[in-house]
Amino acid sequence: MQSIHTMTENQKKETRRLAAHFFRNEYGRLVAVIAHYLGGEHVETAEDIVQETLAKAVSHWEIKGIPKNPKSWLYATAKNLTINVLNRKKHHRTYISIKTKEAFPTNKLEFSEEVIEDGLLRMMFATCHPSISEKYQIPLVLKILSGFSIPEIADAFFTSNETINKRLVRERKQLRKVDFDQFFEKDIQPRANNVLKTIYLMFNEGYFPSRKNQIIRYDLCLEAIRLVKLLNGSTAIQDKTNCHALLALMYFNCASFKSRISKKGTLQTLKQQDRSLWNMKLIQMGVQHLRLLNMAQETSKFALLATISANHCMAQSFEATNWNEILSLYDRLLLLEDSPITHLNRCVALAYVAGNLKAIMELNKLKGETIIDNYYLFHLTLAELYQKEGENTMAEGAYRKALELAQNSRDTLLIEKKLYKIVPI
Amino acid sequence: MQEFLLLIRNEVTPKSNLSPEQMQHHIEKIGAYLKQLAEKGHMKSAQPLENEGVILSYKNREIIDGPFNETKEVISGYYHLLAKNLDEAIALAKKDPRFEEGIWRIEVRPIKKVEGIN
Repeated sequence: MQSIHTMTENQKKETRRLAAHFFRNEYGRLVAVIAHYLGGEHVETAEDIVQETLAKAVSHWEIKGIPKNPKSWLYATAKNLTINVLNRKKHHRTYISIKTKEAFPTNKLEFSEEVIEDGLLRMMFATCHPSISEKYQIPLVLKILSGFSIPEIADAFFTSNETINKRLVRERKQLRKVDFDQFFEKDIQPRANNVLKTIYLMFNEGYFPSRKNQIIRYDLCLEAIRLVKLLNGSTAIQDKTNCHALLALMYFNCASFKSRISKKGTLQTLKQQDRSLWNMKLIQMGVQHLRLLNMAQETSKFALLATISANHCMAQSFEATNWNEILSLYDRLLLLEDSPITHLNRCVALAYVAGNLKAIMELNKLKGETIIDNYYLFHLTLAELYQKEGENTMAEGAYRKALELAQNSRDTLLIEKKLYKIVPI
Repeated sequence: MQEFLLLIRNEVTPKSNLSPEQMQHHIEKIGAYLKQLAEKGHMKSAQPLENEGVILSYKNREIIDGPFNETKEVISGYYHLLAKNLDEAIALAKKDPRFEEGIWRIEVRPIKKVEGIN
């Protein structure tokens, strides 16, 4: 019986839990490091190697349990598979001339933290390169850096597997033209800013999914945070102002996740939300990043947006919101980005500071802009202001226009409810 | 306590279509099951098997190594368990969460023992 007992003890030690999103995390890291060795034009091969590595891990661990050091287990397996591919490639090259990096001595293959971090940074820069169209960057990032499967990406964007597949094929071709290896000190900052921009769009897609009745795609938001944290940890990037600003913004916005949806599953406005449900820990994290930011002189778009969010997070109640401060932040934002959307958001604050009529006047000035005129939120905001002023006919018209433009049932439901209050049918 | 060999059979490449996140979910579910087996003292050992190898057979006075992957299904690993009796061993095997996914077949066999010899 003695031997049985020791056996059980060993077995106990072998069955551990994995860190959250361990596979997804390691997928991106491994693809980045392998692509670094195979050359940027072989990203797909790198992805195949990693997928095979993970499948091997699953078939092993599902019987033996999770090993003591799952990470080194994966790395050893991935390394062996990569060496096989490199050897095969060397062999191939005598027949076909595929443009690859000079023959790489496989014994030099190193999967250290340093090489991985470097590979990740290059991969981020490449997938968010300006030569890749903006709306295709996110699927590419999700596939290569975040280890989302094609169905998962299709689900996040409410489209079909085929569409995503086609996009990925097209953008991978473009990716092959991007030079992974050549970047100079002076390129780092603008490239990092490109990455942040893409990640911000990804976060927003999760926060305000544009189509279908999915309220919040938490996964996308969490993945966006993870990617910025990665960037924030990189030693190659000197100026972290924008990283801190975006992190602060995302933490503040995530803090109200629980209160944004009612028990019935409808989206709650800021005024309706139960603030006691707000996640104080996330707000604290946002504050920490914001503090680091205040030391920096320059103000950026993300910094201003984060400070606006912070103001909402700090207000004890909706009534206690410091609209004066928020309005002045929007004024500063307008100087950086004179976009109709910023004007629209500013007008919400303006209404609380200078009255509804003033805000209505400002909003009506925007009407000529096609982007904003086709945006349901513009008409919804206008409708609410008219309603507050007792201009029910104007309000009704604006609500109907908003209803016409709303793209998902979450929004239509919200508008219908409001419309019902003035025109009970 | 009696010893049992559980032969695990599944398709050659059943998991390759899972996403990393799904793989992790799969592994964690099974990890909890394995942990329970170990903690309750049922697990003696467990090993996965490679999806390769040969099957030797004797034909026309010679040994031939026949095609290995004749069927879609292979033995992908085994558990060596301790249980009170066959019923308990079967009950333990039934709890394997992989049955929910339907990619799994388990053959439960008592290990033969002759009193006073083994």
